[in-house]
Amino acid sequence: MAEARPHAPHRTGKLPAAGSPARALALVVVMVALLVFPLLQVATGGFNYWLHMMLYAFMYIAMATSWNIIGGYAGYISLGHSAFYGIGGYITGGLMTFCGISPFVSAPLAGVLCFALGLPLGLIALRTRGPAFIISTIALLMLARLALDNIASLGGADGMSLPLTDFPARTAKLPFYYGMLAIAAAAVYTSYRVRHAKLGLGLRAIAEDEVKAEAAGIPTRLYKIIAFALSGLYVGMAGGLWGYYLTYLRPSAFLQILTSAQIVLMAIVGGRGTVAGPVVGAILLVGADELLVAKLGSTELNLAAKGALMIVVLMFFPEGIVGTLKARGRLPRALDWG
Amino acid sequence: MTELVQVMILGAMLGGVYAVMAAGLTLVFGVMRIVNIAHAAFMLLGAYLAFWLFTRFHLDPIAAIAVVMPVLFVAGMAVYRLLFTRIVDSHRHVEMTVLLTFALALVVEGVGGSVATGIYRTTTPEYASDAIDVGPFYLPTGQLYATVLSFVLLGALLAFLRFTRTGRAIRATMQNRAAAQLVGVNVERISMVTFGIGIALAGAAGSLMSFLFTFFPSQHWQWIASLLALIVLGGMGSLAGTIVAAMLLSITAGVVSNALGPTWSPATFYLALFVILMVRPQGLFGKKSEM
Amino acid sequence: MTLLEINKVSSGYSGGPNIVNGVSLVIESGKTYCIIGPNGAGKSTLLRTICGLLRPRSGTIVLKGQRVDGLRPDQILERGLCFVPQDRSLFPDMTVAENLLMGGYTLRDRRKLADRMAAVYAMFPILDERRSQRARTLSGGQQQMLAMGRALLLDPDVILLDEPSVGLAPRIVQQVFDAIARLKAAGKTLVIVEQNARKGLECADRGCVLDLGEKRLEGPAETLLQDPKIQELYLGKRRARPELL
Repeated sequence: MAEARPHAPHRTGKLPAAGSPARALALVVVMVALLVFPLLQVATGGFNYWLHMMLYAFMYIAMATSWNIIGGYAGYISLGHSAFYGIGGYITGGLMTFCGISPFVSAPLAGVLCFALGLPLGLIALRTRGPAFIISTIALLMLARLALDNIASLGGADGMSLPLTDFPARTAKLPFYYGMLAIAAAAVYTSYRVRHAKLGLGLRAIAEDEVKAEAAGIPTRLYKIIAFALSGLYVGMAGGLWGYYLTYLRPSAFLQILTSAQIVLMAIVGGRGTVAGPVVGAILLVGADELLVAKLGSTELNLAAKGALMIVVLMFFPEGIVGTLKARGRLPRALDWG
Repeated sequence: MTELVQVMILGAMLGGVYAVMAAGLTLVFGVMRIVNIAHAAFMLLGAYLAFWLFTRFHLDPIAAIAVVMPVLFVAGMAVYRLLFTRIVDSHRHVEMTVLLTFALALVVEGVGGSVATGIYRTTTPEYASDAIDVGPFYLPTGQLYATVLSFVLLGALLAFLRFTRTGRAIRATMQNRAAAQLVGVNVERISMVTFGIGIALAGAAGSLMSFLFTFFPSQHWQWIASLLALIVLGGMGSLAGTIVAAMLLSITAGVVSNALGPTWSPATFYLALFVILMVRPQGLFGKKSEM
Repeated sequence: MTLLEINKVSSGYSGGPNIVNGVSLVIESGKTYCIIGPNGAGKSTLLRTICGLLRPRSGTIVLKGQRVDGLRPDQILERGLCFVPQDRSLFPDMTVAENLLMGGYTLRDRRKLADRMAAVYAMFPILDERRSQRARTLSGGQQQMLAMGRALLLDPDVILLDEPSVGLAPRIVQQVFDAIARLKAAGKTLVIVEQNARKGLECADRGCVLDLGEKRLEGPAETLLQDPKIQELYLGKRRARPELL
């Protein structure tokens, strides 16, 4: 029996719910701007500071977005994600030092290896829920740190230094800029796809009520482990590139709980459980960090300020910026990615 | 062989201190389902307070407990009132408290660190460098006193929970919060008091710590990681489990440290955590529903 | 004398629809009132609203001439109304004695507390026998008695019992209703919600049927037991159905 049906919206390509063509256009414009921006540096120099800030922001966008897959979508808070950061860094650093492979080539590999590592680690850690899970992620981080502190061939606690790139000083930051941009874009895209796929739906159900989700037939174990491993992928990739950028790797710098804290804070301030949230949070906090360092210096007060900010956000805006705007129906379309 | 026994004795002595450190953590989790990531930060606060009292007023760190505990008790209740009463019934309560206490730890470290600076400190009462010889073994007096005091504190805590009206109310709230409400327990007030007690215990542990170890502000991360592993091992929310786990882990860590070097001693805690997660996720004394 | 009055009370759980819809009841002092009805009718919700665990959205509740709607459970407890939930809500790792002690938590007078505990032991000798046993090790029926005994510690005027016989074997159910009889003999006012309609009505003075949050039938328990409609719906009596021959 044929019914008159409203014409289904025309699906463009692989991005479901891309919505209005205006939004897609805006996205393209932003991307082009980001791609073209470094040319300013090439042309005039003097933009190195901005390049640095932006690639730093891209890195955190990638990491916060990545973390969000397990921490936001599934609701399993990991405070140990800097383990992937450090491991990724050491993988590329090691390959560079011992095999001469450029981290630009090996960073994706580091990401994949972190994914592979995340599977068995997730298998163990995800045997628990709630607080016990969080604690096991912290323990994971500590173990990774201990291990790397004690592997002499990788420099132990003193770390190892990596060679500088061959690029001329003026354009030295460019490859890292594009590298981090690529990683960030890939991370956000992955997050977007997960969010709108069955996996994302399943994770959301798990976050709401795991028991009911299981009863409804969702393979919760499998989904959680995949989410966990996936969440480590881009963090590892970012770490892989960052070590090369800094030209040194040290356990105390790469495997600190503070990095985990930053990532978590960004996702929460921005709005965990949303695609745009971590992006917003990362940009905001990198900016805020710069301001704080300018005013208070890199001291302990900086730390206290970050903690205080987190407390305020958690108590009054637990849904984060994007989440709260969404709940009140005031989220601008540009940020409504799911 | 003698060496092994000596190492085990040292481990056992430290176990009591670990137990006091973790007891407050367990208590707070058991009553309010709060995983207090800032617990060790408060321990360090207690240590710094003891240090200040020692250097300024020549007050013995063990005697300082009498000052540190009340101060931190009040501080704990204030913190609870400020931070936790709002989110008691929210969705995803446990995660919220983890993130909140994590942020709290940052604040405590930040503020404390900027006041005290990052210099490594330790209190140096005379007994800290003495030892008693018992047969072929030696017992460092500092650790001996610390252990004795730990057991006194733990004993006092257990007696308080068992025999006093408030202690019973705390246990009741731990076992069945709704039922406690039904018999007229003001569970909010009890939660506040329990949090205060937890922080007070952290302070006492800090005082003991001040002459057993050198300490610096960002050290609390290592402590909290070990303590958290400890309570998961013992079974979250079980005081008995915490005490047993503390003794076991401390002795094992001591043996490991002796065999492989001191850097591996904390690894014992973390590896034990993963083993127990694979074999018995609810911990030694925990119940399945606690997971 | 009217002890408890429930006037057009409606309530529900956070954000959801009304589970209880404009129910009115009058409970007389010293009498036993039984509420029966199908699953999901709102019987438990009604009790939880009366004892303060749930706030009524409309209507009033008057206990001994004073309004108690909107008060906290411990405040209502002070005024003489006690609630024994479906799951008994015991403290599993505390002993029988400790559970009873907790029942008397709000009692400051030690002598009174000791006297009342002795009275409970006298009423339920089996609890006396198992004083030092942990509550989790008691049988279902014994746990129910402990829950009731604990309610008695405060010498309440009204005791609300939510499905006291649920999940218990028939033989144990009898024990529970014997215990209820003892409470009645001690002059307590009882409001019982029961799935086991027959047993519930048999021990009651008055009763009513709650369905979909509203009160349907009401009357003396005897009358309700004889009512053919109730017999068919809740007491399991079959009506002859010609078409099934």
